[in-house]
Amino acid sequence: MGRRVNVIGVGMVKFAKPGASEEYNVMASKAAREALADAGIPYGEVEQAYAGYVYGDSTCGQRAMYEVGLTGIPVFNVNNNCSTGSSALMLAKQAIEGGVVECAIAVGFEQMEKGALQAKWTDRTNPLDKHVGVMNDAQGVNQAPFAAQMFGGAGREYRWRYGTKKETFGKIAWKARQHANRNPYALFSDTLTLEEIMNAPEVFDPLTRFQCCPPTCGAAAAVLCSEDFARRHGIANPVYIAGQAMTTDYSSSFADSMMKMVGYDMSRAAADKVYAQAGLGPSDVQVVELHDCFTANELITYEALGLCEEGGAEKFIEEGDNTFGGKFVVNPSGGLLSKGHPLGATGLAQCTELVWQLRGRADKRQVPNARVALQHNLGLGGACVVTMYRRD
Amino acid sequence: MADELRFDGRVAIVTGAGNGLGRSHALLLARRGAKVVINDLGGSHTGGGKSSAAADAVVAEIRAGGGEAVANYDSVEDGAAIVQSALDAFGRIDIVVNNAGILRDVSFQKMTADDWDLVYRVHVLGAYRVTAAAWPHLREQKYGRVVFTSSAAGIYGNFGQANYSMAKLGLVGFASTLALEGKKNNVAVNTIAPIAGSRMTETVLPKEMLESLKPEFVSPLVAWLSHESNTDTGGLFEVGGGFMGKLRWERTRGATFRLGRGFGPEQVKAHWGEITDFARSEHPASVTESMGPIMANVEAGPSRGGNEFIDVDLALGYQFPEYTSRYDERDLALYALGVGASRNPLDATDLNYVYELSEGFQALPTYAVVPAVNGILDMGRRGETAPGLNFGLDRILHGEQYTEVLRPLPTNQKLTHRSRVKAIYDKGKGAVVVNETRTYDEQGDLLAINELATFVRGAGGWGGERGPSADVNVPPDRAPDAVIEDKTSDSQALLYRLSGDWNPLHADPGFAGAFGYAKPILHGLCSFGYAGRHVLKAFTDGDTRRFKSIKVRFADTVFPGETIVTEMWKESETRVVFRCKVKERDKVVISNAAMELYTEVPQKKASAPSAKATSAAPVAAAAAATGKITSGLVFEAIGAYLTKNADVAAKVGTVFQFKLTDPTSQWTLDLKLNQVARGETAVPECTLELTDADFMAMTEGKANPMKLFTTGKLKISGNVMASQKLDFLTKIDRKAMEAAAAGVVVAAPEAVAAPTAAPAAAVAPGIFQSIAARLAASPALASELGAVVQFNVTGPDGQWVIDGATVAAGRNSAATAFLTVSDDDLAALAAGTTDVKTLFQHGKLRVDGDVRVAHRLGLLKNS
Repeated sequence: MGRRVNVIGVGMVKFAKPGASEEYNVMASKAAREALADAGIPYGEVEQAYAGYVYGDSTCGQRAMYEVGLTGIPVFNVNNNCSTGSSALMLAKQAIEGGVVECAIAVGFEQMEKGALQAKWTDRTNPLDKHVGVMNDAQGVNQAPFAAQMFGGAGREYRWRYGTKKETFGKIAWKARQHANRNPYALFSDTLTLEEIMNAPEVFDPLTRFQCCPPTCGAAAAVLCSEDFARRHGIANPVYIAGQAMTTDYSSSFADSMMKMVGYDMSRAAADKVYAQAGLGPSDVQVVELHDCFTANELITYEALGLCEEGGAEKFIEEGDNTFGGKFVVNPSGGLLSKGHPLGATGLAQCTELVWQLRGRADKRQVPNARVALQHNLGLGGACVVTMYRRD
Repeated sequence: MADELRFDGRVAIVTGAGNGLGRSHALLLARRGAKVVINDLGGSHTGGGKSSAAADAVVAEIRAGGGEAVANYDSVEDGAAIVQSALDAFGRIDIVVNNAGILRDVSFQKMTADDWDLVYRVHVLGAYRVTAAAWPHLREQKYGRVVFTSSAAGIYGNFGQANYSMAKLGLVGFASTLALEGKKNNVAVNTIAPIAGSRMTETVLPKEMLESLKPEFVSPLVAWLSHESNTDTGGLFEVGGGFMGKLRWERTRGATFRLGRGFGPEQVKAHWGEITDFARSEHPASVTESMGPIMANVEAGPSRGGNEFIDVDLALGYQFPEYTSRYDERDLALYALGVGASRNPLDATDLNYVYELSEGFQALPTYAVVPAVNGILDMGRRGETAPGLNFGLDRILHGEQYTEVLRPLPTNQKLTHRSRVKAIYDKGKGAVVVNETRTYDEQGDLLAINELATFVRGAGGWGGERGPSADVNVPPDRAPDAVIEDKTSDSQALLYRLSGDWNPLHADPGFAGAFGYAKPILHGLCSFGYAGRHVLKAFTDGDTRRFKSIKVRFADTVFPGETIVTEMWKESETRVVFRCKVKERDKVVISNAAMELYTEVPQKKASAPSAKATSAAPVAAAAAATGKITSGLVFEAIGAYLTKNADVAAKVGTVFQFKLTDPTSQWTLDLKLNQVARGETAVPECTLELTDADFMAMTEGKANPMKLFTTGKLKISGNVMASQKLDFLTKIDRKAMEAAAAGVVVAAPEAVAAPTAAPAAAVAPGIFQSIAARLAASPALASELGAVVQFNVTGPDGQWVIDGATVAAGRNSAATAFLTVSDDDLAALAAGTTDVKTLFQHGKLRVDGDVRVAHRLGLLKNS
């Protein structure tokens, strides 16, 4: 076990629709400067930077960090689909944990295009071809957006197994909007009725439009440091990482289950590792940021993270155990569904929200007595990063 | 938690540091460890006199506090001397705070050239001289912080300060460029616009106000901007009295005039609202951003034309957001009544349109126009229009309507509509905008096409395309073959509007009066419905299911209560030309109209390629002798191969539809009937869309279908798995194709049997009958199901309810589960070739309500 790693500064920009945002370098440098100001340390103290983004030419990370300062430090560009942000965070954490540096910054950003995700490189093997193959076998392929077919198909499989009502999926979107309504950084702050959600155009049964996260532009950043560094800078009682694990696809992803193809086993294995590292279990957690790219994924992930028992998601939702007043508050920020999902930024925006929660700085959406927080960030292709944060 | 911000080892120059703001900045920097040059000419605040006392006092104060400072008494116009004194005393220079200033306030008409020059020299020239002398040192050492002092008077203007305003805003521009030039050498340049009580403001601000506006409230911002940990540059900040905030430029989204269309002051006036509307704005922060909209317009190139009403560039081709609607038997009946059906309630044919329990209940086919037009009207009511169409309802007339159905309308359905602006014509004075709406059924299959041509008064004249002008559907010069007279009711418009057209013109006498009508007028689409009903009555023996399309031109207004006379000429078995007159006024109200009929009732599910398909052979022959292998030849060869290898077709047993693009062609590969034909089939099991070139590469074995699929070059709908059975395509004899391409006669494939469109018989009724029998025989089966299950079967449509041991046609809205499945898939379930779970996961069996009921549908098998 390496050294303890603290998260001493976080920052993000308000997420925006494609076309309505600033450029990636502007958003990223703003988020980074905000995180540095939050930490109260100058950029000169930062020894390495990990910059995550999915769409853009090479070395966008440097271009963005150059607006923060030209200190000549190593800048690594990180690309891991929707879990890019957490992957950058994990690399920064490892560098400190292993004693390579004392202070590092992870920044994630994305300037997305309008419309559903599409393949950019059509002259070579698509990295998701195996996943698509599983889907072909399980349910065929139609004209709906690919990701919606994949996660929607996982929802179908779950429904078939446990008899879940379609409205149960809709309730997750309803909750997301309720939470986002309290978050000034969220893209969609208007609340919706369950009826509006259910009557919206269907994207892929059982998912209606409001149950799919929107393409989003945004940036977020986190400054990490060692215990020594925190002490030297007089930073008292910071938030720290109590456990973190990344998993990639297991053979079960490529069998015959849509739920497993979209990462159920990756999520469960990563969560198990984190609970073991931290010596804590799900019942010790108060607040969760969970990768709700589609309502169907939030629903199956409740179980993968052990927030409820297998097959218990509908009851969990109906009893309000995923929101204020229940056992956990899941996605107080509004999640990917309502806060938005700028691929590279999401992992660090989740981190930002949880750090604010643990510091008691989340204003109207503050989870009472938040001491232990859990983050789940998933990318198809695949990588799943689960992180546990604590503040003593 | 953070450390104190220190300036140890740094050297700063503060100009005008003898008093006020400058003194405060200097004291703060010195307290934090900076070595400071205290520059002050010692003059009055209006620029008179000279003394060393002010600077010396500040130096003494700093030294008394343990700090380091030297005094300098030069004018800022001798900037080099000031910088030299920093180098002499401390050996370097890191921070320049340009603070020195004077005032010569006087109204512009009384201002002398001297007042103007002096203010310019101290503020602008002075700041330039000091900064210019320091600049090489800052660049060289790759570190520097420069702060300029501007003022709200410069940003916003202030009475009596024309000279001062000029100078203060000049500094902002100066600093903006220095910030850019200094960036790569780590020289940050910022500007503050402070407000504080000082010698310069004590004449203009009340005393108690001055007390709260201490210079000490400004200096912390100056110190932060001067600190090495601040890397922000090029900023402008307002600061004072404990407040500090950053300023930026804001620009409206403005108006863009497409090039090549010409615009003058009138257009500027017309768009003044947009040009000045900050509700939609952006914040350009660089020359590049400033140029953004300009370059975008230049790059967009010349316009396709338009004027203030219609912007063809924006509007043409615009796809409206997809919208959905639902209708049921009640909507159909209300519509039929709205267009005059069942004036005689004993008329059995008409009863079929209005009474859902009648034996032959069916949709009046012209209803297909209603949901499509309602969608457009609803968007209009919400103020959603296509971009570039800037005219109100008052300008438009429904000019022409074309409505086509691909098969009879189901009696209830959820529809999805996709609309676009298909054409825009410049008719001189007016313009015509054609909206096309394609309507899809619950399975996503195209059901109806509508084209709505709107005439826009006074909106033409940009010199654009005039569009088709031939007089179509002109009645022949003989007596009509049929005439039907029908008196509308006085309240006909009030009844018709309940089908969705909310325009008050048809209901509100006041509104109609405003448009110059004596009373509300009948909807054009209402007389359209009358006309359609008349033609169907005269030529289809009451079976409306042969209806294909109707096209009309609206020539004049009809008032409720008038008699519509439809005159019809049968041109062929499938085509009737007609026109409508108002009897009372002998006026033609619908002209240039025709209805087309199908020879047979079209079916969604036919068992063979549709009649459109033709043999591949002639096409191939036509393509022959070019020496090049074309996709036509390939399909011909496939046909020949399959004839010889009947076992291949038997093994695959799937109907494939190929849709090729560049160039476009469609092919049906029916491996059930072992036929290859050009054209579309109504029943593809697997549809493949790809370019002609990719198809050729695939058949040559150069491209792998799976790879084409995952890279998006091949789109597959329907049964994707079936596409994996296309390996045999690579086994086609290339030599035969090459020979054919070279014009050598090869053995022609067996003549392809003319495909017939045999309507499929629904299997669902038989299945439910069988289920009923089994449930009656085995109560255990009924209790196993233990739920009320509603089946909605599509293509052909039907509804059944299984409730305990009883099975009945119809609906039950209180069912535990609602299952939607096609007749074909139901048949496959019964035959045991698929199972419920597979259909569900593929989205072919939809379950609303309790999904677990679907687990217990074993009784479907073998029914």
